[in-house]
Amino acid sequence: MRVRAALIAVFVLCGCVSRTPAQNLNSKARVETFAKLPDWSGMWEPDIFVGQADGQQFSEEALRKMKARAEAMRPSFTPEYQAKYEQIRKSIQAAIAADPLHPPATHQPLCGSPPFPATFTPGMFEWRVTPEETTFISTVGAVRHIYTDGRLHPPKDLLWPTLMGDSIGHWEGDTLVVDTIATKRRIYMGELTGFFMPMSDQLHFIERIHMVNHDAIQIDYTVEDPIALTKPVHAFLTQTRVSDFDRMLEEADCEENERDPVVNGRFTTVTH
Amino acid sequence: MRVKKPVAALLGVAAILLASSALAHHSRAMFDQTKQVTLVGTVKEFQWTNPHCWIQVLVPDLKDSEAAPVEWGVEMGAPVELMRKGWKPGSLNPGDKVTIIVNPLRDGQPGGLVVSVTGPDGKIIGHPAAPGSRAP
Repeated sequence: MRVRAALIAVFVLCGCVSRTPAQNLNSKARVETFAKLPDWSGMWEPDIFVGQADGQQFSEEALRKMKARAEAMRPSFTPEYQAKYEQIRKSIQAAIAADPLHPPATHQPLCGSPPFPATFTPGMFEWRVTPEETTFISTVGAVRHIYTDGRLHPPKDLLWPTLMGDSIGHWEGDTLVVDTIATKRRIYMGELTGFFMPMSDQLHFIERIHMVNHDAIQIDYTVEDPIALTKPVHAFLTQTRVSDFDRMLEEADCEENERDPVVNGRFTTVTH
Repeated sequence: MRVKKPVAALLGVAAILLASSALAHHSRAMFDQTKQVTLVGTVKEFQWTNPHCWIQVLVPDLKDSEAAPVEWGVEMGAPVELMRKGWKPGSLNPGDKVTIIVNPLRDGQPGGLVVSVTGPDGKIIGHPAAPGSRAP
């Protein structure tokens, strides 16, 4: 018994006996912290689809919202990036003119996670709020990890552009403030057939996410890129609670039955 | 009140979006959303699949009774989207007589994007879109 007790003491003293996850999860401090966090449970989707019946019909309210938000999000590019922007536009317009029946595919069909910040657009979403991390999950396969455990972004030599980038956050009352860097260096433009506009390695997002009421979560964005933008872009998105469905079913498995392939740079449809 | 607007025209107005509703699995630019075509035919196959469900439907040539029917492939949303509108994997079966309204492909191929499907019982399949739904 003495030997066993001595061994246990040694393990504890040297830190060899780690706390188990269950102990951490149930610690008084963690439980108290958890209880103070907002409840964002449930399923959510972009309010922009409210009133949209079949992919082509929008309510007047939805149209008004989309126009207002698009205007609010209009980036002001620096001369260098304005030139890039106009060059992309011209090339797409030329491709459309060359073959109006087969519109150019300015990006591949999205199978799996759309890149941040477009992550919030298609599908239905869940927010999992814990003291250490808020996780965003979508039915099109996007998973964002927003770390709220006090960590900083990794050093630059450990970062590279990824779909979701690196997100850290903290709570200001019921608002989650998120700082995101190291995303793919591009933003999505809804013009023409839709395309991604290249941005610099300075691309940086700040979000303030909060529940407006029981049925709405709002995300206020600030997009900064001192190399590509003359001033930050401010925008917002609102998510509405899903009330007619209770299962997260994935919807972007293109290996199963992809019939809209991109061929020679243009969208095609396999009818048989 | 609903306003019918082609997505392309809408995006022309909504010039720049950081996260556009059009950024789904793929663009819908290959469909002419200013036009609708009504197909009256027989279901050959109902594909309840990701990323999109498809109906293969045989449409007889009304002007030539001896001509072989034309097979159309018409595209819908993902299963999860259709479920939200009341569809099920067994909503259609081979041999079902259907009437399908589609936005046709621009290039003239026998294909399109489904607007509505009326089943063998003469009723539109699925309930009206719930707020927020994207299907079919």
